[in-house]
Amino acid sequence: MSQKPKSRGRAGTQAERGSGGEEAPSTSRGPGGAASQGGRRAEAPPAPGPRSQKQLELKVAELVQFLLIKDQRKIPIRRTDILRHVVGDYKDVLPELLRRAAERLEYVFGYRLVELEPRSNTYILVNTLEPVEEDAEMRGDQGTPTTGLLMIVLGLIFMKGNSIKETEVWDFLRRLGVHATKKHLIFGDPKKLITEDFVRQRYLEYRRIPHTDPVDYELQWGPRTNLETSKMKVLKFVAKVHNQDPKDWPAQYCEALAEEEARARPQTGGTAPTPAPSS
Amino acid sequence: MAEEKDCLRGDVEKGEEPVVTITGGAYSGKQAAEEPMKVEAEAGADACSDDLSCGEADIDPSLLELVDEEKCRSIRKQYRQLIYNVQQNRDDIVNTASESLTEALEEANVLFDAVSRTREAALDAQFLVLASDLGKEKAKQLNSDMSLFNQVAFCDFLLIFVGLNWVEDDGHDALSDCDDNIVRSFWETVQKEATSWMLQAETFHFIFGSFKSEPSARKPRLEHRKRVHRMEENGDMPTKLRKLDLSSNQEATEKEVERILGLLQTYFQKYPDTPVSYFEFVIDPNSFSRTVENIFYVSFIIRDGFARIRLDHDRLPILEPININHVGEGNDSSSHCRKQGVISLSLQDWKNIVATFEISEAMITNSY
Repeated sequence: MSQKPKSRGRAGTQAERGSGGEEAPSTSRGPGGAASQGGRRAEAPPAPGPRSQKQLELKVAELVQFLLIKDQRKIPIRRTDILRHVVGDYKDVLPELLRRAAERLEYVFGYRLVELEPRSNTYILVNTLEPVEEDAEMRGDQGTPTTGLLMIVLGLIFMKGNSIKETEVWDFLRRLGVHATKKHLIFGDPKKLITEDFVRQRYLEYRRIPHTDPVDYELQWGPRTNLETSKMKVLKFVAKVHNQDPKDWPAQYCEALAEEEARARPQTGGTAPTPAPSS
Repeated sequence: MAEEKDCLRGDVEKGEEPVVTITGGAYSGKQAAEEPMKVEAEAGADACSDDLSCGEADIDPSLLELVDEEKCRSIRKQYRQLIYNVQQNRDDIVNTASESLTEALEEANVLFDAVSRTREAALDAQFLVLASDLGKEKAKQLNSDMSLFNQVAFCDFLLIFVGLNWVEDDGHDALSDCDDNIVRSFWETVQKEATSWMLQAETFHFIFGSFKSEPSARKPRLEHRKRVHRMEENGDMPTKLRKLDLSSNQEATEKEVERILGLLQTYFQKYPDTPVSYFEFVIDPNSFSRTVENIFYVSFIIRDGFARIRLDHDRLPILEPININHVGEGNDSSSHCRKQGVISLSLQDWKNIVATFEISEAMITNSY
């Protein structure tokens, strides 16, 4: 079943080139239609006619499935992938499809489809439901428990002023039995996990510090972290571990508070699920 | 030489610019204006410089001062040394408590007073970039010093939070020598706490799994390989078996037939002119399968004409020997015409016969 979106996507693109697709949506092409679509491509296929509600619904369903599956790895979903695999010749109604898919995801699954960064054309799924204590028991085995390590690193970064050197991270993790070069029982290759996987998932940013010899890198929060959690939450996590109040760290507390206020203010097109129309 | 002259002239003109920008207001403009011509350190330095100074009419003679090559080299060396030191002692410099950054800057200031050419100025620029980066880091350090966050304490608190306060950290790394289960439980506990602070979307999986493209692509290949392998294996076996079977079976059968024939003939020699009851001969009261084998072998004997079977007055089958003498008699025509008989024997029949005839031991003894 997971293959469906992909195969249909391929069939869709084939249909684009002229040959009839197996699925109803692509074959039923009316004569008139979106003029904007037809003129743009060199091959000039017949412009798709107005699509029925049923066709759109089908496409939305495929899109929802595609997004859910693509999110498994937590790597941001690219708009180009969406176009290539699912939408195909429904490119002109992509904003509508995305809007409906986002609606579906929110009402049915409780996931929000957000753009990672404005105008980045990559999307992630964020849970709208606050995690509940009891859920943790039921969650069971969802692969390696990397979130714990991630949260520790995020806490470290924030408490040290939003940026930390890689060497400091390893100095810290060493005390917890996690080494950059040694294979870890649970995490396998911790260096790869932190500097590559988390970065690819956009939880962390990994930048080289200039003028360092030997070369050193610095780690900062990535865009996904800002969407999935907040400074206040991470501070509370750190405070809970210390069994203290978040206010015991006044500088960080003020920073976290400021961020909360900034978020509470109405956004000017920040995390809206509808992306900019395709150019 | 002409090339060098051009290059040097270019250097002079270019050289003015960077010096001015770097110094800003700190250095006198007079220094900036001083741009002496200098000849590269090849043979006959002094003589060449004199020629050059005379030849360059359009440049103000006040600019053309001989600079000691040695001095410039020493300045460059000092700059490089300073940069190296700063890089090596980076940690010390960035430390907010130390004054080493200020000292390094003052040293660079002193060096710059003697700088008059672009090569050294470039080194000075390099040092300045390095110093400003370190200064930025130092400033950042100032911020974090006020945060009161101690990462070592954080580490210990993590362990306490999980409940591992009995793990002693004697300067060694905690958790590295620990039992696997402890490590696993530590990370699971942290994971549980961490996920409650993040709005992570759960990964979506079909309950009964899904068809993944990769394994299904591989499976046919594997099966094909397995099938091929199996076929090859099967192919091997029959050829081997046939060889064995043919040889053993044929030999075994012939041998057995011969052996039984020998037994039969021994019997006939012992008791001449007394046909033996067929059943008494073939039946093995202990083994039904052996009985069937015996019937099989006796049939060969009969087929080959070494004995014959007929019904006696009780209508029970008996075996009679066929002597070579009898061959010549007129029995040929009757005995050689094809006659076939089928004997069927079930397990029950066999048991009945054993009981009826009271056969206690087999006449055909085993060869093994």
